[in-house]
Amino acid sequence: MRPSAAVRLALAGTRTDALRVVLTTASGALATVVLLLAVTVLAIPTPGKPGDTSSDSWSRQYRLELLVEPGLRPGVVIALVLLAVPVLVLAGQCGRLGAPARDRRLAAIRMAGATPRQTAMLAATETGVATALGALLGLAGYLAGRVLLHRPDAEGRLLLPTDVPPPWPGIGVVCVGLPLLAMAVTVVLLRRVSFTPFGVVRRTRTRAPRPWPVVLVVAGFGLISLLQPLARWADRRHWTLPVPLFPILLFVAVLLAAVGVVVGTGSVSHAAGRILHRFARRPAALLAARRLMADPWSGSRTFAVLLVCVLFGAGAAAVRAWFASDFATSEEASRWMARAQGQPYVPRDTSFYFDSMDLVNGVVGVATALAAAGMLVAIVEGIVSRRRAYASLVATGVPRGTLARAILWQTFAPVVPAVLVALVAGAALPRGIAGESRAGGGSTQYCVGDWDLCQDPNSPNLRTLEVPTFAHTIPVPFADLAVVGVGALAAVLLVVGAGLLVLRSATSVDELRSA
Amino acid sequence: MILQARGLVRSYGATPALRGVTLGLAEGEILAVTGPSGCGKSTLIHCLAGILRPDAGEVLYLGQRVDTLSEAARSKLRRGAFGVLFQFGQLVAELTAAENVALPLMLAGTGRREARTAALSWLERLGVAELADQRPGEVSGGQQQRVALARALVTEPRVLFADEPTGALDTLAGEQVLGHLVRLAREQGTTVVLVTHEPRIAGYADRELTLRDGVIDATGMGLTDKAVGA
Amino acid sequence: MSATPAAGSTTAHVLLGLLAAGPRHGYELKRAHDERLPRAKPLAYGQVYATLGRLQRDGLVTAVGQDQAGGPERTSYALTPAGRAQLDSWLERIETPAPYVTSTLLAKVAVALLVADADKARTYLVAQRRAHVERLRELTAVKTAPGADLGAVIAADFAIVHLDADLRWLQTTLERVANTHGEVRS
Repeated sequence: MRPSAAVRLALAGTRTDALRVVLTTASGALATVVLLLAVTVLAIPTPGKPGDTSSDSWSRQYRLELLVEPGLRPGVVIALVLLAVPVLVLAGQCGRLGAPARDRRLAAIRMAGATPRQTAMLAATETGVATALGALLGLAGYLAGRVLLHRPDAEGRLLLPTDVPPPWPGIGVVCVGLPLLAMAVTVVLLRRVSFTPFGVVRRTRTRAPRPWPVVLVVAGFGLISLLQPLARWADRRHWTLPVPLFPILLFVAVLLAAVGVVVGTGSVSHAAGRILHRFARRPAALLAARRLMADPWSGSRTFAVLLVCVLFGAGAAAVRAWFASDFATSEEASRWMARAQGQPYVPRDTSFYFDSMDLVNGVVGVATALAAAGMLVAIVEGIVSRRRAYASLVATGVPRGTLARAILWQTFAPVVPAVLVALVAGAALPRGIAGESRAGGGSTQYCVGDWDLCQDPNSPNLRTLEVPTFAHTIPVPFADLAVVGVGALAAVLLVVGAGLLVLRSATSVDELRSA
Repeated sequence: MILQARGLVRSYGATPALRGVTLGLAEGEILAVTGPSGCGKSTLIHCLAGILRPDAGEVLYLGQRVDTLSEAARSKLRRGAFGVLFQFGQLVAELTAAENVALPLMLAGTGRREARTAALSWLERLGVAELADQRPGEVSGGQQQRVALARALVTEPRVLFADEPTGALDTLAGEQVLGHLVRLAREQGTTVVLVTHEPRIAGYADRELTLRDGVIDATGMGLTDKAVGA
Repeated sequence: MSATPAAGSTTAHVLLGLLAAGPRHGYELKRAHDERLPRAKPLAYGQVYATLGRLQRDGLVTAVGQDQAGGPERTSYALTPAGRAQLDSWLERIETPAPYVTSTLLAKVAVALLVADADKARTYLVAQRRAHVERLRELTAVKTAPGADLGAVIAADFAIVHLDADLRWLQTTLERVANTHGEVRS
């Protein structure tokens, strides 16, 4: 098949197909912008000698300290790449929009004599073309943004690294790699769909999910809870643990918990369905319960990203509480020492840490919005693909309200417990490292009067101060956690509400006529 | 007259589907509506059952206007006094047969246990009791249609609307579904509107009415009813 | 119909119908018959002449002349007024709805379109269809009656399936006649 013919056939479709292509293009553009920003941050030149980590290597032309210090930039890059993940998931979700109709069309093309490889390539071509277009749009947006956002403030500082020349090799990798990645993902997603000449056979997993993701979450928690005893044990024996061990263990623990939460959504959905089925008294709950049990995966995939956002949001809240507690405790100790030494107390500037946490929260917020958009697409797709079934239910007298409540139940029954688990996991991970803030302790020497008077170690002016230990349990940031949890649930409610707007048109009698 | 229609008109965009249909159904009567495809059969049954609102004309059930009722009231009518049976696809794929049949009762407020008991007895009457805990996808088309019939009849409706109920079935399965439908309708005194394009299926009715281009075919083509148009 | 020995024979009436268009001789009649009523087995000459002989004896047709040009001697036949009356009464008579009446129905409709107009054919078809539907309904009632035994059901099925086929053909023919009666005439 010639490429021109492939493109022609790939783009032959209905309005839903057009919508899918537009959404794929848009999310491709968004992902491109985010990734190009990451590439640009990587390309910020480091002044000073190589290997120098002093302030000589800082790029003082930026407003954000995260960009100023080279040592902080890898974190920014990782955050941006992570931000691209919900965008790509959104793209994947958009790819499922109108998929049954496309699958039928591909089956018809298959019937007309195309080979299975050719049909898979057609679907991949559609995604590839759309994503490539999105990448071009994203590149254009990036280049335009460089010019438009290059506005130094009064001190000549920049918000974003708009002074860095475009890192063309990196840009090339992103703009070519993204469409190729999208095509590869499409082919992988289509492996469950075989286009026989007699129609579409979609093999779905119908067996109940196994509870092994719970094991992952438990393992993550177990690892975290081992960290402190491990440190104390090593302390008692006066061993110095190898430096990277602690962060690596922490990272593995977070990864285990995150993967467990994401993969566990299927189990959570199925379990929520089972419990709901046992206690359902009304038709809406019964419908929701059976649907959750019949296909726990389709719904759960959609809120996995949301759960990761909740996990990070809760983690950030806990880290912020930890910072706040630490700073307050050390401030308390410093004040005590200043008073004891009869010196004025100079408070420390800790705004950098909180500014950085605000940035993390902002990223989590944007990612949550993207996750919600993905859920919206999934919910609309779920309703539209069942429109005939919904229409005949309405025709037999099932009120639309019952169907709407069923969709609400079906969404919330698994989301509420999963969000709770993610909240607990996210909040507990930092606590596993530090349960309390300590400052002071031990003794310190200070000089009464001028430092010259204390040159002699036996000088009477040199005093020794026994500093008491200041320790506070880090409080659980219930308010922040509630904001994260309620925010996530509100986003879901908003999304379901918006999704239900299509229910009326999806249940019109016209859907019965196209039998 | 349990159900009457006067001067029904209904269009889809610029395409007229019904162009003035008047008919009446006596209590307990089984009426077949036949005609070539696209003649407006389905639109007529949808208007009669209160699924669709006619553009003009009126539908009366026991002397009360149906077409002017609110969507909620018509919806209530459809799950109470009316039963609806389609060609296929009306069972909820995720629910078991018993749950599907119990659904209309639960919608009416019956408790789940009680609704299940009633559902099981209807499945029994239709000879598919052993399928109670199977899902629609796990049973044959004929069995699905019997479950759908049980669901349409579980509320003991006064009027049953059946739109090509055997259209997707092989001959014997279709005969069995129709046999059950007619037998149960006679037992319960249910009035039936049966849309079909097959003469053999129309043979189950007491009377036949042919639609052609959105009007009742009064030229005599296939018309065997003296009272038509009354 | 005691005066019509050929009555009951579809072939006799088709020949009467063919003669309604004008006098023809035996060979032409056989060809016209085979064309109009294609069947597995063509009409044999012997049967044509035997039937014509019976029709002539009953006064329904009459020999109108001989033609000898370039071949064997051939007699042309024409319809008599009695023959026309016999034909009309056959056309108006509804066939008993029963399995295997289609060939007779076909003959009647073909002849009706030939000798009468489309309206007449339609009137006949509508009446015949009504009779079929009523019979179908009776048989369905027999079949679905409580306690109907398997033998009765099978026998009813046999008749119903044939009537169903007839009815489909009648319906299609009605639509064809309604749409294109001008094209059917020869």
